[in-house]
Amino acid sequence: MIDRLAAALRRSRADYVEIRVERTWSTAVTFRGRRLESATASEDQGGFVRALHAGGGGGGGGGGGWGVASFTSLDRLDAMVDRAGELSRAVRVDPPIRLADVAPHHADVQLDLDGDVRGVSLAEKKRLLQAYNGAMLGVSDRIVDTLAVYRDEVSEYWYVNSQGTVLHELRPEVTLSGTAVARRDGTIEKGLESIGLRRGWKSVQDKAAGFREVAERAVQLLDAPMVTGGTYPVILDPELAGVFIHEAFGHLSEADFVYENPQAREMMTVGRRFGKPVLNVGDNGAAAGLRGTLPFDDEGTPTQDTTLIKDGILVGRLHSRETAAAMGERPTGNARAISFRHAPIVRMTNTYIAGGRGGETFEDLIRDVKLGVYACGAFGGQTMLENFSFTAAYGRMIRDGHVAELVKDVVLAGNLFQTLDRIDHIAADFRWNQMGGGCGKGGQYPLPVTEGAPHVRIEEALIGGDVPG
Amino acid sequence: MIARLLELAQRGADGGADALWRRVERTTVAFEWGRLKAAASTEEAGVNLRVRHRGRVGVAGTTAVGGGDAGAQHAAPLLERALASAELGEEVDLVFPPPASLPPLTTFFARAADASLDHLIEIGDSLLNRLAREGCRVNVAIDRETTATRVANTAGAAGEYRATSVSVSADVWRIAGDDVLVVSDGLDGGDLPSDDALATLVASINARLDHALRIVAPPDGAMPVIFTPAGLSALMLPVTQALSGKAVLQGISPLGAKRGEQVFDARLSLTDDALRLGRPGSRPLDDECAPSRTTCLVERGVVHRFIYDLETAARAQTESTGHGQRGIFGKPVPAYTNVILTSDSDTQRVGAPHAAPLPLGGGLLDDIKDGLLVDELIGVGQGNVIGGAFSHPVALAYRIERGEITGRVKDAAVAGNAYELWKRVATFGADARWTGSRWAPSVLFEGVSVARR
Repeated sequence: MIDRLAAALRRSRADYVEIRVERTWSTAVTFRGRRLESATASEDQGGFVRALHAGGGGGGGGGGGWGVASFTSLDRLDAMVDRAGELSRAVRVDPPIRLADVAPHHADVQLDLDGDVRGVSLAEKKRLLQAYNGAMLGVSDRIVDTLAVYRDEVSEYWYVNSQGTVLHELRPEVTLSGTAVARRDGTIEKGLESIGLRRGWKSVQDKAAGFREVAERAVQLLDAPMVTGGTYPVILDPELAGVFIHEAFGHLSEADFVYENPQAREMMTVGRRFGKPVLNVGDNGAAAGLRGTLPFDDEGTPTQDTTLIKDGILVGRLHSRETAAAMGERPTGNARAISFRHAPIVRMTNTYIAGGRGGETFEDLIRDVKLGVYACGAFGGQTMLENFSFTAAYGRMIRDGHVAELVKDVVLAGNLFQTLDRIDHIAADFRWNQMGGGCGKGGQYPLPVTEGAPHVRIEEALIGGDVPG
Repeated sequence: MIARLLELAQRGADGGADALWRRVERTTVAFEWGRLKAAASTEEAGVNLRVRHRGRVGVAGTTAVGGGDAGAQHAAPLLERALASAELGEEVDLVFPPPASLPPLTTFFARAADASLDHLIEIGDSLLNRLAREGCRVNVAIDRETTATRVANTAGAAGEYRATSVSVSADVWRIAGDDVLVVSDGLDGGDLPSDDALATLVASINARLDHALRIVAPPDGAMPVIFTPAGLSALMLPVTQALSGKAVLQGISPLGAKRGEQVFDARLSLTDDALRLGRPGSRPLDDECAPSRTTCLVERGVVHRFIYDLETAARAQTESTGHGQRGIFGKPVPAYTNVILTSDSDTQRVGAPHAAPLPLGGGLLDDIKDGLLVDELIGVGQGNVIGGAFSHPVALAYRIERGEITGRVKDAAVAGNAYELWKRVATFGADARWTGSRWAPSVLFEGVSVARR
């Protein structure tokens, strides 16, 4: 394959060309209630070409834009290399697109398959999921519906570019998710379990307890009152804190948002204070064993640990080769594509709030809270730049320094800048949340990412819910 | 093409089979932050096969189809995977439909299919020029797609069609200090957009931008709220989810037991129309060989019908409503095509463009002393949507005072229950339009809870 790609590269007269080819074997099993909804095995393959002509666009200043071609039939490889070149020449960009330098790499990487899922029968995968689904259904007859999904894949990946990088990787991934729906009369509540790993079959054994727990909580939520809306001191559990930092801050640190937008650039000026000195945030695509981890991004740049906020101050951002060149900064290995169907764009990998250095525990965070909310887990989150809204899976009131009753419909909403600045305590209990799902941006979903955080306290935040009056 | 695959499947699966082959060619032009940046071309083809064997249903998909054909070398392993999938499947009394005549429908527009790259770039350029303004940055994307679809089953039903679609989207960004304002809009259709349609898109974005430049204090309490056609998403999503036969079967639809009952405002009707000319969602038959039709979902407030594909219909012991939709991977699911909301007071023909771009508010502002106009909410689709209860911060909303929009409101949240609100609509607007695959006007509700934060 590498020879074939190298030959295709040589065809092109563009100043820069890259080719990616992927072949993916995947299986998926879905249970809904007691019923197996589907068990399927799929094969997906295709290629992606991106070309850049330095002097394109019919003369004058500037250069060619990105010419991009993607395809499922590998017979079309040469034709699509030509197509990408033509498209680049047809688009004129002034000032021209430049790419920051990255040393060429040669690598043949087989990630730890940890029990190759291709060697496990569909029937065995069904049995595993059936057991986890059964753990949810067995909790109570109040559990009226479940959705349990097992998905795995092994992807063989080739990447070459005209600057000499040649990569070949075998990438595994396995995800499990369970939704338990509890119902009593008109009241419906749910619990959500999610596991996502860049590993294999062995890593998803013995996971029933987590599925049982979310189903139990869904049943408990039937009796829980809706949280009373208002502003409170709020403690985020590591899961919600991770989702928060990814959604509310991480996306703003993606340089494609700021590199050609002067006002955005001003808003995200390095050196600006974003939080109190306790706040440290980063993105680490090289962290061992996580779902967002890969040796190289989809432009052949090695991944790395990039500090974004240090002691409350903005110090870095995430780059592709193009955004790094435009801003005179260094590429960080964050140009990623979800598949051969898409161009790499600036994305997060494993994004984290670092554990507090003061050694504080969760108990320390709530000790002086008279009335607050402990917001746990995440059903979802959306950010419209400086505004965000997150739905916690559940919450508990904090009363006089102690965790009290379960509450539901905990929606955390607010302004990013205010909220980051109101983070006043960060516990030392950091953990990575190895969840499934993924990140969506620019029509590319789901991108495997991981989030990590300890318990985080926001001195004052708005909790939506039952609005009094 | 898939005929050979089905021949092979008929020998291996005792309950028959159906298959879908689809080929997509897409050209995309992207303008980023005010300048043309990239042009992309996509060629994609794949086959999805479903078999029924010993009463059990299985599916398999592949993009390993050389030269647009599921030829012999790919057909056998695909069938093998589909049979392996069926071996694990539950028994479903699924019957592949017999041949039926298909409604005539134009889905292929040569002008769109033949439009050159330069022409697509020109459309983008003209939008960019008309949207340019001081202190703002504009993104524009133009996407032209040509698809060829073949679907057939072993009962002899078959259909094929080519289709085109063009989508144009634009967003204008204005960042002032820490205030980020994004106003976006888009249009799509089977054919290239007319100059009038592009002018309307520009006017729609500009009107919302002009009103948004001034920030005013949010109101607080229960008040009249207008949801624009785009803002209606939060109120439509629970209803369309609840009208899906799949949700009804799962027992999670609040409308599941309400068929024939008056549950909404008596002026409200909802239709799904797979035959609407010029819409990207329209097609002569669904992805399971069921001929397309117009399906009345809600008639004058009464729940009339749920949507089904073949499998959910078999489980519910009813007929498919022609809503089977399938990708290359995975099994078919029931999905809407074009959802049309009409009210008794409508005088506007569905799909007809307005003579002139309408002012924001759809003519509903006049009688409002103090209220809110909601164009976009944050977090729609999160949480327990089908339950109907919602609480969303506003992304783009305007204050209405004494019949006029006085400015943009930040830091406010809107809450309520979609089913309750649809029971008591105050007035339907006169500004119906397509927002994605939904046709709806602005709608005014009284007594909606708005919280300041």
